[in-house]
Order: sequence, then structure tokens, then C-alpha cells
Amino acid sequence: MQDRSGSDGQRGQQLTRREEITWYGLAAVTYVAAGIVEKGLLNWIVGPIWLIAFVWFGPLLTDRVRRRR
Amino acid sequence: MSWAAHQFEVYAVQAHLPKKMRGKVSFWAIWLGDFTPDFLSKFWVYGITINGRRYGASIPEQWHRGWPGMGFTHTLFAGALIAAGLWLWRRNRALTVGYLLGYAAHALTDVNDSVGTMLLFPFTTLNWSARTWAYAATTDGGKYLDGAAYYSSLGLAMDLFWLIVVLGSWRVLTREHWRTSIVPADPHVWSWFARFMPERALLALYRATFFYGVCRMFAWSTWAHIFARPELEGIPRRGYPFDLSWTGPWWLEARSLPHVNPLIVIPVALVMLAVLYWVISRLWEPMGRRDPGVVAVEA
Repeated sequence: MQDRSGSDGQRGQQLTRREEITWYGLAAVTYVAAGIVEKGLLNWIVGPIWLIAFVWFGPLLTDRVRRRR
Repeated sequence: MSWAAHQFEVYAVQAHLPKKMRGKVSFWAIWLGDFTPDFLSKFWVYGITINGRRYGASIPEQWHRGWPGMGFTHTLFAGALIAAGLWLWRRNRALTVGYLLGYAAHALTDVNDSVGTMLLFPFTTLNWSARTWAYAATTDGGKYLDGAAYYSSLGLAMDLFWLIVVLGSWRVLTREHWRTSIVPADPHVWSWFARFMPERALLALYRATFFYGVCRMFAWSTWAHIFARPELEGIPRRGYPFDLSWTGPWWLEARSLPHVNPLIVIPVALVMLAVLYWVISRLWEPMGRRDPGVVAVEA
């Protein structure tokens, strides 16, 4: 499958196993914690968006921060 | 009702397709089929409160699973009817078969609570319930009491059972499986998403329902047993107590509708599942001969 999202081109398509565990784990821990506090977040729309946001934008943001340093 | 079990079922069905259907049944169709019964009926079960006034079903179990009510949405008959409509509309066996399997998984799993589903609708409107745990949607308790009851009863065991089934077939969650079995069965949908999203986000999208199921199971269980401060029979408690007995938990009245003998429910549900797989298996090739997409590929 071709990557056509230009902003993500530099980052590459895939995560390493370690990055994958980190981002999925981070998404899960934060979502469970937020869900315990606010049950309204525990629904089938927010849940998937939460994961996708972490896995998609998390690596982009960390790359950007690293480059600035 | 079942909670995260419905999210795990989607992957369990995908992982246990007959050999000839692997990589050929739409994941999104299974997903849609599994979610349709509650899409159509659940919004009114808990209801909504506006300016202090609740709008919703006065008898949630009757609305959700009964007749008269929306109980027909949780029947194999409704699943078969919608699947037939999909077939007539699209002539797409990946979509039709996936939708029917997802729908059936939902309707059959829900026979486990104390209300059950009308398995043989429209021939009989009696509910088929194994009464494994209490159906706990009430007008005053809402989603909170329902979640607390479910995750204090054998409902939690049901979620864990489906989780173990999926983890036992863990390859279904891998990138390799997604690339080789999921994308080829739904090329147009994934191509459309790929216009906006990189591959890692597409893979996350595929895994997202599993993620949501795991997280909601942990979050609701943790809240119910550690953070909630209920008052049961006049006694304040730290967390809702577990009760893994049949039709538990003891601290809530299990809702019910007129039903058949619970002892026959699980065997009959399993027989119906076997019959469904047999019928789908028999129809698979004839449907392929009438499916323009399959014919084009084979030509």
C-alpha cells in the first residue's frame, strides 16, 4: 500500500517492534486511565480514534521534538 | 448484554473462518454485522436525560430484546434478512457472508444473559436465555450499574473467554495477517483509507476494535471494583462485590422476559451456529459464481 501522506513520508510507514509496543501501550494506559475518570470516553468512536491518534501522530510529534533539539 | 465480547468476536470470527473463505471475507462486514443489533436498539435502552428528564425505554429489556420491541434486531432471522438484502444489492459474497457471520455472533453471544434473544423469531417470540449472568440495564441505574453488574458477574468471564480465543489466534492481529488476509478481502475500503493514512495508522485502524474491547474491559472492571462507592442493601461499600455464580451478581435483580428452558439454550445455540456455518459453506461457491468481483478475478 502506497504512502501518499506527504507529511508522514519522512517518518516512514511502519514502526519498529519497540516503537509499536511503546505507542500501543501508551495509548492503552492513557485511555484506560481517562476512561476510569470519564466513562463517557469509553465508546466505540473515541476508543479507535484514541489509538489511531497515538500511533499515527505520536511518532510524528516525537520526531519533530527530536529534530528541534 | 455482552460488553467487550462483541469487540473480540469480530476477530474471533475472522480467525475461525472455514479454510476456503480465509482472506476472502470482509473484515468490515463482520464488524458491521456484529455491531448492527446494538446500533439499531441500544440507544434507547439507557436513554438520555435532558433538563433532568429521562427519555428512553420504560422497560429496557423489553425494548432491547423483546417483542413487541426491538428484540428482532437480535435474531438470526433479521441478520439473514439484511444479509439477503445486501446480496441482492451488491452481489458481493465477501460482504454478505461477513455481515451474516458477524450478526450471528452477536445474537448468539447475547443468549447468555438473563434476558437472552429470540433465537427462533418469527416462529416464536419466546426468548432463549442461558441466564449465565444478569441483564442489568435499568431505567435508574443506566450504563454505570449495568457495567458494574456485568464486570462483577460471569459476564467478565465471557469477555475473558473471547479475549483468550482471540489471543489463541494472535496471528489475526499481526501486520502479516492484515496485509495478506484483511486488505485483499476489502481492497476498496482500505485503498480509500490509504489516501489519507500511513500504513501504521491503517493497521491501528484494523486493531482498534480489539484495543477498544481490551481497554473498556479493564477500565470498567477497575472502576467497578476499586473506585466505585456503591451502597448495597443500605451498606456503603468500596467497590461492587464479585459474584461469579450463575445469573449473578446477587446484589441486583436479574431482568427477564418469557423464555424457554435455559438448559436447552447453549446446545441449541451451538447447533444453530454449526448449521449457519454449514449453510454458508454450501452457498460459498454458488455465490462466487454470481459475484462479479470473484468472476472477474477468476477470469
